[in-house]
Amino acid sequence: MRYEVRKLTDFLWELPQSGGMRVPARFYATETMLPQIFADNAPQQAANVAHLPGIVKASLAMPDIHWGYGFPIGGVAAFDIEGGMISPGGVGYDINCGVRLMAAKLTGEQIAPRMRELVNQLLRDIPTGVGAAGPLSLPEQELRHVAEQGARWAVEHGFGTESDLHYIEENGCIIGADPAQVSQHAWQRGREQLGTLGSGNHFLEVGYVNEIYDEAAARALGLFPNQVTVIIHCGSRGFGYQICSDYLEVMDLAVTKYGILLPDRQLACAPVNSPEGQNYLGAMRCAINYAFANRQVIAHHTRKAFGKALGMSIAQIELRTVYEVAHNIAKIETHTVDGREMHLCVHRKGATRAFGPGCKEVPIEYQAVGQPVLIPGDMGRYSYVLTGTEKAMLEAFGSTCHGAGRAMSRVKAKKAAAGRNIIREMEAKGIIVRAQSRRTIDEEISEAYKDASTVVDACALAGISRKVAQLKPLGCIKG
Amino acid sequence: MDVPWKTPDWLKFVNHTGDAGILVRAPDPKELFARAAWGMFSLITEVDAIRHIDTRGIEVEAGDLSALMVKWLSKLNFQHVTEHRLFGKFQIIDINEKSLVAVVRGERLDPARHQIFTEIKAVTFHGMRFKHNEEGWEAQIIFDL
Repeated sequence: MRYEVRKLTDFLWELPQSGGMRVPARFYATETMLPQIFADNAPQQAANVAHLPGIVKASLAMPDIHWGYGFPIGGVAAFDIEGGMISPGGVGYDINCGVRLMAAKLTGEQIAPRMRELVNQLLRDIPTGVGAAGPLSLPEQELRHVAEQGARWAVEHGFGTESDLHYIEENGCIIGADPAQVSQHAWQRGREQLGTLGSGNHFLEVGYVNEIYDEAAARALGLFPNQVTVIIHCGSRGFGYQICSDYLEVMDLAVTKYGILLPDRQLACAPVNSPEGQNYLGAMRCAINYAFANRQVIAHHTRKAFGKALGMSIAQIELRTVYEVAHNIAKIETHTVDGREMHLCVHRKGATRAFGPGCKEVPIEYQAVGQPVLIPGDMGRYSYVLTGTEKAMLEAFGSTCHGAGRAMSRVKAKKAAAGRNIIREMEAKGIIVRAQSRRTIDEEISEAYKDASTVVDACALAGISRKVAQLKPLGCIKG
Repeated sequence: MDVPWKTPDWLKFVNHTGDAGILVRAPDPKELFARAAWGMFSLITEVDAIRHIDTRGIEVEAGDLSALMVKWLSKLNFQHVTEHRLFGKFQIIDINEKSLVAVVRGERLDPARHQIFTEIKAVTFHGMRFKHNEEGWEAQIIFDL
């Protein structure tokens, strides 16, 4: 497909409003990234999103944009809550998929001799893939509490500490979760999965601070060179997948009921203030809280696994939560658009909230530097810590990228890995990788992903986030 | 498309960045739906290692053929995930545009014998395609992984 792309700045491009588009579609990218982005049909998806009623300013795409179900992954779309839409496709199946970053008191050198034991211990203690039931099996009544209380439920049940909550988006509990809107199937899928990583691209990575770009921000976040870090990347598991599936069906009917014209059936949505929209919002918030609780339980088991493998107390290791942030979510937020304060339903699908300095939603300790943004990379290269900016607030509803994005399909990656021992290759690079299935490791080879640094650099150049630190992996468990 | 593991000649894996798809061929709709289920479980595990111990009856109703496929596969995936079941043999007893009756055979997941490759988040409508000609039937299904 050919696109008529207009250059707005060196790092922002536009598909102007045309046909049924209500606003333009805008793409954050460097010029060299454009051919790859526009070779995919994701730009058409971003343009399709611009057709939805009530969309404000522009349908935005981050540099890691790629094809997604209806809405592109790497997309941000904000809708006026008066007359605007909410869509499960704009959030994705894995509701509140997100990242927690924890930082230890230790340095990479201190844990290097015990890395193999540590990764094996993590694989034993943290259920990863399918069939691996978590150590928790909760009756529906208890799951309802999880859905309402999020990470707070986990802390009150002995998983982690109160101080973790302070460093989680929404303090680990979004208000307005409505368990009455969750199906029986979703409760059943969620019953045994709390505290599990899941498969696919979800992982837990032990790494270290390789490079610091912004000393003041790193200091504010408590990061120092060679410091041991842990990244937990997962979401709401089957509970969230089922809620998304259930509400795609509901919205499919709502489109007809409300006479909404869509360029693609997979954009199925309903007005935010309609019963269908409110029910989805209530159910989705249950999944948001489930994911917060899930990462909190995993964080607790991670600390214990460190203690066992390193023979140290948790006080010696610390592993304090630096921050936790979602990258598949829809939230009601207030933003200034063309000088006017508006209440918006902001969809971030494969995009991360990146609120700038001074925002009241940011933990007080980080207010001077802005909200931390965590960008996981692939298992062989690096991940990034960024911060949000005022420009992100003005231009992108306080949003930035979320990761590298796949460059190869799983089939292609498996082909590329055929005949190779990826575990040994990674070990030669000083990275211990473990998974329940070797096939997962083959599918997740480094070269199957785009280079996260190009994505992060594009966001930094565009001014929608600032680079703080680069983290490099030492070990990783995958589902 | 070649893949580095053994598959029947009526099943192909579809290249889809981030997700996975299957393309299934069969002489008739009954076999098409049975093979689609086999194809889905081949993404999850080594289907040949599943013993046909338990038998279950499954009934599905939907608005059209695409929805029928999504509901049929979703139901099997739901039972796999919530009850730790694996299914390896699928027999469609009766099928029309809007409903299906099937008997499926399998066993409880045993981590010692069954390696789980991946988890299927959802069976999607995206790229769903049915083709019918004198050579038989064909269906494409994309899964969100």
